[in-house]
Amino acid sequence: MFLAVANPLNSSELIFPTLEVIHIVGFAVLVGTIALVDFRLLNLGMRRQKVAELAQDLAPWTLIGLTMVLLSGPLMFSSDPDMYYLNRSFQVKMVLLLLAIVFQYTIHRKATKSEGQPFRQKLVACVSMALWTGVVFGGIFIGFV
Amino acid sequence: MSIAESIQSIGFLADIRESALVYPVIMATHLACIAIFGGMILMTDLRLLALAMTDRTVTDVVNQFRNWKRVGFCIMVTMGILLGASEAAKYTPNPFFWGKMASLILVAAHAVIFRPMVYNNTAAIDAAPSLPGRAKLAGALSLLIWFSILSNGRLIGYWEGPGSPGKPIASSVRSAPQVAATHAQSR
Repeated sequence: MFLAVANPLNSSELIFPTLEVIHIVGFAVLVGTIALVDFRLLNLGMRRQKVAELAQDLAPWTLIGLTMVLLSGPLMFSSDPDMYYLNRSFQVKMVLLLLAIVFQYTIHRKATKSEGQPFRQKLVACVSMALWTGVVFGGIFIGFV
Repeated sequence: MSIAESIQSIGFLADIRESALVYPVIMATHLACIAIFGGMILMTDLRLLALAMTDRTVTDVVNQFRNWKRVGFCIMVTMGILLGASEAAKYTPNPFFWGKMASLILVAAHAVIFRPMVYNNTAAIDAAPSLPGRAKLAGALSLLIWFSILSNGRLIGYWEGPGSPGKPIASSVRSAPQVAATHAQSR
């Protein structure tokens, strides 16, 4: 059985909030860069760049953000796995996160490369924003359900 | 009754505090805005430091993000005021809350100082043979100040006040969910 008290993470009061800060900075980089591409797909901003150019510019930063959340997240999970595992909001968040990551690197990536399909691109942007916002909401609601 | 208590007893603010749904929804919106618009601030800063989007001019990056950053800032601040005001009595003795407020004042000072030199003067920055120091300084300081806002904001939830009964010392970490649960119970 996993003992939360045996986890070195639980030996200091500062480690958990530090991980949370890393997690928040990470998802700001991750979701922020994706949202910029989505705004562009919706034709709401960054119009002076082509979608493909903007996506290419931001892709490494999206990956940096993703790495930050995927490193800090599981560490936070390990501080109290039973609680998280049974938490309904956490479960929803994990499903949305999986969908969002798969969507990002398949359909979303394809949409940034295909010009001349404005409706499709807008739809993809809306789904992307909805998924990532859902992930953030799922994270916050872990503490409230 | 203290000023803080008077503020948070205003009808709709008390409603927010006592609602099981509205409070977390406002908080999640606050966080979603940090994600979307904080990301734009970050990318602007990284461009000023020549670390990201170097194929684009500073003018392009600063001008195109500007309006969206303003929209995001307004939503973020509105949600923040609702969160803070609904728990005013709890926030006023909290040092991290004041750390965050002080950092927000620094954001204003940053804007006053660097707007004419950098953000409204991007053509000169792009024309310079190498990235001017003032642009790098503006980017670095902005990153630092926003990091301070973010970490102070997160730590607000961890401060339990001096001499709060049974304050655990390095025994177990109060995870965010536990903090939130205590928060919910104490309402």
